[in-house]
Amino acid sequence: MWTVVTLALLLVFAAYLRPDFAMILANQLWSCF
Amino acid sequence: MISTPAPSPARLSMTQVLLCGAFIVTLSMGIRHGFGLWLQPITMDRGWTRETFAFAIAVQNLAWGAAGPFAGGLADRFGAFRVLVVCTLLYALGLVLMGLSTTGLAFMGSAGVMIGLAQSGTTYAVVYGVIGRNVAADKRSWAMGVAAAAGSFGQFLMVPVENGLINGMHLPGGLVLGGVGWQQALFYLGCLSLAIIPLAFGLREPQAPKTSGSHQSVGQALKEAMAYPSFLWLMAGYFVCGFQVVFIGVHMPSYLRDHNLSPNVATTALALIGLFNVIGTYAAGSLGQRMPKRYILSSIYALRSLVIVIFLNVPLTPTSVYVFSAVMGVLWLSTVPPTNAMVAQIFGVQYLSMLGGFVFFSHQIGSFLGVWLGGKLYDVTGSYDIVWWLAVALGIFAALANMPVKESAIVRPTPSPA
Repeated sequence: MWTVVTLALLLVFAAYLRPDFAMILANQLWSCF
Repeated sequence: MISTPAPSPARLSMTQVLLCGAFIVTLSMGIRHGFGLWLQPITMDRGWTRETFAFAIAVQNLAWGAAGPFAGGLADRFGAFRVLVVCTLLYALGLVLMGLSTTGLAFMGSAGVMIGLAQSGTTYAVVYGVIGRNVAADKRSWAMGVAAAAGSFGQFLMVPVENGLINGMHLPGGLVLGGVGWQQALFYLGCLSLAIIPLAFGLREPQAPKTSGSHQSVGQALKEAMAYPSFLWLMAGYFVCGFQVVFIGVHMPSYLRDHNLSPNVATTALALIGLFNVIGTYAAGSLGQRMPKRYILSSIYALRSLVIVIFLNVPLTPTSVYVFSAVMGVLWLSTVPPTNAMVAQIFGVQYLSMLGGFVFFSHQIGSFLGVWLGGKLYDVTGSYDIVWWLAVALGIFAALANMPVKESAIVRPTPSPA
């Protein structure tokens, strides 16, 4: 179970690091750049 | 003779309560967490200012906090199931109307008031009441940690999911998922929120028998809590939690920009906070079973202050930002399980949702002030320095305020026989 949890967390974390999403986050969610 | 709140006999299975409760807070906390993604498309399409959008979200946060005690009181009186169903319908309707609103006032009513009210009945306070009544005291803090970690995971997960819905998620092989635009995305989210209703059946409690030895009315419970110093200390600590977390969440990107760090650093920082928040909330709940919860809370607040002081005094580099974000992530919502578990431990579980709602209201006032003062003092002084140090001072205050909290069950006089 802990393996599944760790994998899920890492998968979501990886989604944040995608360059396209990172820029959208910067522009839209943290809309201050 | 005296009597203390006796634990209620377990009525629902712990696995059922935890699974359903965890999925409910994953959805309810997750859906709202990505609302910032709508700021740009909505304001551009509708021709509104950012202030119109921000004001509605501020109203949402205040409505969530102010309605919390009432939603909690209704859940304690009529059962969490009914409150969850009504508030889920309100959530779905609020999301749909958020997409259809063409004036600032309508947007404030839907995204602000309706969704704020909906959140008060679908988030921690209501779910924790069911956990408190159905999970044995020796596992309660851990169980609250699991639910809080689920809420944290929802926040972490739903931001990329909602972005995928609005803008599309590009997968390897040229596959694109979602990308339905901001308005359709809100309708989809409205449908997704309805998944809370079947999950709420898992939290449907049988009629609560009056077996706790306590025959308090709502008013008596409230009067008792408000006159009990430990409850007020807990509220004060939670106020500080709201202030620090929301100030950092909202204003840190501007702070990083002011210091010439790239947007990528800020987004990685956000991801690190989200990741370590899940770990921190679970750990705090588990630790609450093993050591006095007031020490956990004091340590969290003291560590926040210490980490901020170090952050402000080391050279600002991507590495220092990442370390700060990871450590703050661990300390982010980790106050939620110990605070609510202590409320249950002190006052019993009969009015846990209502009392949890009051404590959360204090959190939301702190949140509001954290955002507002951050902006106001920045405008006046041209820097965030004063607010950072205010956050440090408040953290020290909260660390001290939690030390004298009495964790033992409150002693109530037994009514004299007639």
